Amino acid sequence: MSVAGVREAITQVHHEEWARVVASLTRRFGDLDLAEEAAAEAFAGAVERWPADGVPPNPGAWLTTTANRKAIDRIRRENKRDDKHKEAQMLHDNTPPEPLGAIDDDRLRLMFTCCHPALAMQTRVALTLRMVGGLTVPEIARAFLVQGTTMEQRITRAKAKIKAARIPYRMPSADDLPARVTGVLAVLFLVFNEGYLASGPDTDPVRHDLTTEAIRLTRLLRALLPQDGEGPGCWR
Amino acid sequence: MQYLVSVIDDTAGLATPDEDAAIDVFNEGLKAEGHWVFAGGLAAPSSATVIDNRGEEAIFTDGPFLESKEHLAGFWIIEAADLDVALGLAAKGSKACNRKIEVRPIL
Repeated sequence: MSVAGVREAITQVHHEEWARVVASLTRRFGDLDLAEEAAAEAFAGAVERWPADGVPPNPGAWLTTTANRKAIDRIRRENKRDDKHKEAQMLHDNTPPEPLGAIDDDRLRLMFTCCHPALAMQTRVALTLRMVGGLTVPEIARAFLVQGTTMEQRITRAKAKIKAARIPYRMPSADDLPARVTGVLAVLFLVFNEGYLASGPDTDPVRHDLTTEAIRLTRLLRALLPQDGEGPGCWR
Repeated sequence: MQYLVSVIDDTAGLATPDEDAAIDVFNEGLKAEGHWVFAGGLAAPSSATVIDNRGEEAIFTDGPFLESKEHLAGFWIIEAADLDVALGLAAKGSKACNRKIEVRPIL
């Protein structure tokens, strides 16, 4: 495969697999920050290795395995630096996903966590684009016309709150589900709207990166949620 | 995991008998479901005293909340598995005491 072909493949895999990798790591290690960093390192590894080694037959599995290894490396490094954190860092949930019916997907949990009502709306949008959409922090900062450092801070604070306040990483209860899905859709709508009617004076009137991302994530949400009439009626 | 559930009061005055009764019911529920750790209602902010003993001698002053529109009127410490559980309980608590409530994790 040509270098351009590999690059194309990596972009494609990034779109398809980023959320899955972050989500499965979050479940395993119970730490969004660690999941995000390890996933980013795994993709950096792919950019480095795949042009020479070729694209592996199952890119998603390669990335998940690599990211898991990176996460464990990181935990070990940090444990050496600070033994006090050892216990906390090694806490992870190895239990299989709770039986919550047919709808249960790590990416869906990730969306619900990022769009949790205890987070500010702006924060939910940024966090969803980073953790689920896989946009980089500078990309998100540009999209919302703020400094990169401001956006970095916003996302870091959100992750800290999720951890400290223990915002759960699971499907909302059946009672809460309709309201929570509406919450996620509100976030995706804001992402789309920002692309469709950009708020800055110097931005393009239509920002295809954002509209495309919003449509992609909405499709993902729709694909993951049940369509058996039990689910929310917001699609109709 | 424990959460501090603070009651934020923007009215003057203590809880009415109706509110007190509703709070009692809410408290019984907390105990029955194993969420109860501790709770207390607080006297008016005008009764507070601030102590600063970081310097050479202790300085006592009137509470800092005297002028503010909102004050801490009471609190619960609850045991909850995660924030969703804590928020669910806090929503019921807010209804019971008829006031705004803030939830913060205890480290």
